[in-house]
Amino acid sequence: MSQEILVLCPFGLDAGLLSKAAELLPGRVRAFVPAREQAEAALYGANIIHTLNCGEIVDEAALADLLAEKLKLWGSSIVLAPATIRMRNLMPMLAWKLDAGLTADCTALEMAGSDLVQTRPAFGNSLMASIRSLSRIQMATVRPGLFRPAARPNPKAEIIPESCHIREQRLRHVAFQPFSQGKPLSQAGIIVAGGMGVGSKEGFRKLSVLAEKLGAGLAASRSAVDAGFAPYRCQVGMTGVTVCPRLYIAVGISGAVQHLAGMSGSEKIVAINSDPKAPIFGYADYGIVGDWETVIDQLLKEELS
Amino acid sequence: MNNILVCVKAVPATTSVQVDGQYRLKREGASLQWNIADESALEAALSLKDKDGTVTVVTMGPPKLEAPLQDLLARGCDRVVLITDRLMAGADTRATAGALRAAAKRLGPADLILCGRRAIDGETGQVPGELASALGIPCVSNVEKLEWEKDRLLLHRRLETGVEVLSARGPLVVSVCEYAYSLRLPGILSMRRARGKTVERYSAADLGLTAEQCGLKGSLTKVTAMESKFPGLRNGPKETDPAKGIQALRAMLREVQP
Repeated sequence: MSQEILVLCPFGLDAGLLSKAAELLPGRVRAFVPAREQAEAALYGANIIHTLNCGEIVDEAALADLLAEKLKLWGSSIVLAPATIRMRNLMPMLAWKLDAGLTADCTALEMAGSDLVQTRPAFGNSLMASIRSLSRIQMATVRPGLFRPAARPNPKAEIIPESCHIREQRLRHVAFQPFSQGKPLSQAGIIVAGGMGVGSKEGFRKLSVLAEKLGAGLAASRSAVDAGFAPYRCQVGMTGVTVCPRLYIAVGISGAVQHLAGMSGSEKIVAINSDPKAPIFGYADYGIVGDWETVIDQLLKEELS
Repeated sequence: MNNILVCVKAVPATTSVQVDGQYRLKREGASLQWNIADESALEAALSLKDKDGTVTVVTMGPPKLEAPLQDLLARGCDRVVLITDRLMAGADTRATAGALRAAAKRLGPADLILCGRRAIDGETGQVPGELASALGIPCVSNVEKLEWEKDRLLLHRRLETGVEVLSARGPLVVSVCEYAYSLRLPGILSMRRARGKTVERYSAADLGLTAEQCGLKGSLTKVTAMESKFPGLRNGPKETDPAKGIQALRAMLREVQP
């Protein structure tokens, strides 16, 4: 049976994931993207592009229904999606309808014959599990922004416009209140994170200014969140978000196991701490032993000039 | 009137875990606690319930969960159900959702089904969506606040870039964020009401499930290898001169900045 990967990005393209799909099964990649991202999908290796042209979709269950019908026609054998909050809700609904096994938040994918081997961390990052699907259709969500986009221009990609008619509005959109602080952590290339060592809300304000200047995300350890220095959505670790930026700057963070679980996948880790014995230094690529405020103030000054 | 069903999971209380030969979690020795997001869902249910409403709790796990379930009666839940059967061991999210669906059907219609947004052990967050799909109802994930607005529910859902407010009509599944609500303590009134109530136990057969639909056999994913990989020591150089440190940090920032 011929294999095909469907990359589902109805709320926004993950170019890295699409590139990965094109690397796994060259020439057999179907993408489902918002119409505005058609050109980008062709650039990153999609052979067939379904462009979705409709207003805001509120009910992910309704979209899952629609996709389940479409998939019967398309016959894709592998379905991948970025593990964003909305897609992590939609994919389980779709998996149930397709009688498919689904693996969450994978950090590596490879083909073994016709099997997709899905690797994901469990228990924070303490165990890495390799998982295979036992169903005809193999499904996985993949940590967003994990794979680097690699251009594979496909000027002859077939474009198929899709409309969606969602009949019953069981859910209605009422309002959207955007967060004031910069980038979502899961998509940030740089993260500035603070711990108890930062000492106060004012300290975090300083980190927040720096994060904004650097185009970085602002994160916090659990104890800093518990102390009220930063809101819960900034929490990185076992009971918060898991992140894998290119550069993670840990400021005044001691390095509890629970925190390490959420950030040890970062490409580069820099630790700034006045305690030379802080465990975080062991897990960092570079450490600065000293007063965090001196370092941050100096960085801010350089950024401003 | 509202009837709320809350699905909860007991997770190991420690951060060190062990797996058996089939890569299943060794749960026997570990002490268990309710998953933190599920406690949030429980409290959300208790605070949403009105005078005539009920809160029913269902969990799947070993028989020793009877005592912690009994404790939930003392905290104000009306009915507690334990799905327990050796056949259920090793269930993936699909087999779990299948068992929960069967229990939900048997327990009678619920206006709202609440779950935690994910468990700290498996971290998949897939059961709420699979359960919703199995029951043919919508699912809203990552909700940090729920309130009644006449006969509709207002849901505050935390997305990556902000909070989306939705108005929903039941029945539906909602998954609740950890720390959104903190579970109340047992109260004298509810303790009195709980007296005489017992934990209801369902086996696979009680739920009309065959061995093929349960546990490892009923799962559509299979763990084929597992390795401990935490966390790699990097032991990078330590700089004590702030000026030199800043210079190095600057260089690293330049590398990653667009």
